[in-house]
Amino acid sequence: MSPAQLSPSAGRLLRPASVATIALGTALSLTALTGCSSGSGGGSSDASGEVKGKITFQTWNLRAEYKDYFNGLIADFEKKYPGTKVRWIDKPADRYAETLSADAASENLPDVVNVSPDKAYPLAKAGALMNLSKDETAAKAEKQYMPEAWKGNEMPGLDGVYGFPWYLNTGPLFYNKRLFEKAGLDGDKPPRTYEELFSYGEKLAKKKVASLGTAPAIEDFGRYGVELMNKDATEFTYNNAKGVELLKKYKKLYEQGGLDGQAMSAGPEKAGEKFEQEKIAMNAGGALDLTSFKENQPQLYKNIGLTDAPNNNGHPNMYVMSLGISQTSENKSTAVAFARFVTNKKNQESFAHKVAVFPSTKGSLDEPYWTEGGRSPEDRVRVSSAKLLKKAVNYTPVVMTEEMKTVLKKEVSKCFLGQKSPKQALDDAVAESNKLLEQV
Amino acid sequence: MNSTASASGPPAPSAGAAGPPSAPSTPSPDSPASSGSPGSRSSRAARRGGARVRTHRAHSPWLFLLPGLLITLAFNIYPFVATVWKAFTDARTLTPGSFVGLDNFQEMLADEQFWIGLRNSFLYVAAVVPCTVVLPLLLALLVHKNLPGIAFFRSAFYTPVVASVVVVGLIWVWMLDDRGLVNAVIKTLGFDTVPFLSDRWLILLSAMLVTVWKGLGYYMIIYMAALGNVPRELHEAASVDGAGPVRRFLSVTVPGVRNTMVLVGALSSVAAFRVFSEVFLMAGPDGGPAGEDTTLVMLIQRTGTGLSGRVGYASAISLVMFVITMVLLLAVFAAERRDKK
Repeated sequence: MSPAQLSPSAGRLLRPASVATIALGTALSLTALTGCSSGSGGGSSDASGEVKGKITFQTWNLRAEYKDYFNGLIADFEKKYPGTKVRWIDKPADRYAETLSADAASENLPDVVNVSPDKAYPLAKAGALMNLSKDETAAKAEKQYMPEAWKGNEMPGLDGVYGFPWYLNTGPLFYNKRLFEKAGLDGDKPPRTYEELFSYGEKLAKKKVASLGTAPAIEDFGRYGVELMNKDATEFTYNNAKGVELLKKYKKLYEQGGLDGQAMSAGPEKAGEKFEQEKIAMNAGGALDLTSFKENQPQLYKNIGLTDAPNNNGHPNMYVMSLGISQTSENKSTAVAFARFVTNKKNQESFAHKVAVFPSTKGSLDEPYWTEGGRSPEDRVRVSSAKLLKKAVNYTPVVMTEEMKTVLKKEVSKCFLGQKSPKQALDDAVAESNKLLEQV
Repeated sequence: MNSTASASGPPAPSAGAAGPPSAPSTPSPDSPASSGSPGSRSSRAARRGGARVRTHRAHSPWLFLLPGLLITLAFNIYPFVATVWKAFTDARTLTPGSFVGLDNFQEMLADEQFWIGLRNSFLYVAAVVPCTVVLPLLLALLVHKNLPGIAFFRSAFYTPVVASVVVVGLIWVWMLDDRGLVNAVIKTLGFDTVPFLSDRWLILLSAMLVTVWKGLGYYMIIYMAALGNVPRELHEAASVDGAGPVRRFLSVTVPGVRNTMVLVGALSSVAAFRVFSEVFLMAGPDGGPAGEDTTLVMLIQRTGTGLSGRVGYASAISLVMFVITMVLLLAVFAAERRDKK
């Protein structure tokens, strides 16, 4: 509503008939959910052709920090395969799913696109991603990667694999040594299990320091050892005794003041902000955060400790990043060649040397860089994470949509607020999620 | 938002009225056929002069309208029709879906979040509209006299309107944070921290404050123009009769701008019912603790977007919102008409 368009005398001119016009106009502007199409019209049939021509490559929030690495990588590829041209685009972390769904709906998904398994699942289901197992050239790449990582892109209910494994991450836990010491805790002994996390949390809370900035998410249930879903991934099961036990402990922590005041409405971005402002003592972060702390918060960086997220069952969470190939790509041969090039042993390892992530290629984690390392905290964490990674599991169920994650969050909040018992909250969350799952 | 404003703007003079006054009063033989086209009168006038000069053809006006029509069709009419259709399907962002009848509406009745959204949207209207109808009028009274330097204050009051709602919202989020500016002041005064951004009612209240604060300047401008139309003689007559400033405000100013108040009421109630940005920023994408601060538009955004967004269900909620908005407006104008009688 720009004021220039609105004459002050319009009030007098409004007849009831024009009421309908206003209402209609209003509704029109708010019902802008446009139509969408799917299906796989067009696109080259397979990846067996000549590696030549133009492709588009989309990464997920990597340009800001690693521009030079990717420009070098692309130049190497173009040199290796003369006549190819890679256009690189990078999309911000926020709303990445919206970007993907808009692109996929208009059949404009970039030829090579950075996805995680939970994002790949709806795309694969809608036929927007190429089934790598069904393509001779692409399937040959399988032996290039760790078997678990390759299997990480299998989708329940669908045949085949839908992405080339790229970098792996255990999701480190950052902690603030200054705040730890304030509460009489040893800055060099971060919590390793959930029991330690909760007992640390109590001590921190006594000094009015909140431990965490978010309510427990599905990965926390996984690391605690809760069975999240049944074997066929058709029903959620995290309302079992173990799940209730974890929620009870979180509730106690919340009542002690161990969670930030905004924890119930905060997402990971908000929690990251709170950690940067030293308002919370611990935060599960991405590997990319450390570089950003170093540059933006040198004061905080000095006090940061890095460890693996607390874990009760010896199987840490594994975040898998992959490169999918668009089903509508006009140039699948080049797209597959480029995706394989980016995820080959040499390039994955050199990327992992720059960023605190881990390569998914076979044998890489046995390299000295990930088995020996130096004495700095980063080195020690890297070696211990790499060891854990061999036993890691991707806990985030790929069938769990954002809506189902919101359901869990909502019910957890209700439990914290005392509106529901932990058991009731999880029962309701599971029931509602299962109902949503049936509709898919 | 533009469609609201343009729909309520003054109607353009009709093309027929623009014809020359010398148009013949006796109908020419071909008039029934040609009277439908806006250009008929001028072409007839030209023919009477003897020369057959056609200044424009029957379809010319449509050519001028074409760009606007196409844009309206593509960006307003088509999405609207598509939304109505999709409300009866189980479409998702990546799958077209099939017809499911009234399933979506049945699900809505049982959806706790829908009722929370409906409640919050109505609370928003109930709390925000009275403020945006009354406060800007007082503000306009304050600045409508031409005093030296008054332009500065007018601009100052208008500034929040120009600022982006996201930027303004974020600034308020920082100020209202547990360790933000506002709480720092409260603490210095010796009171406890107020959980503006973690208590569900306070979140809603904070968002309402931002909406009112941001809307003040906009509605103030509308009122200022209306105040200029209130005859000064009435004020003078009232003063002569011994009416004080309060009495004159209630008996002269308010009736004089009543139509504008109805307009402001209508506009702000629609805007308040559709609130999104302020609450989204204050409460977070999940709508605050346990989703208790979700508004209807937030719910539409949350269910209808993303890779597995339920477009069908979100469309059904949109449709319900459309009907409610319509009823809301009709109610405002019905009240206005009854008043007149």
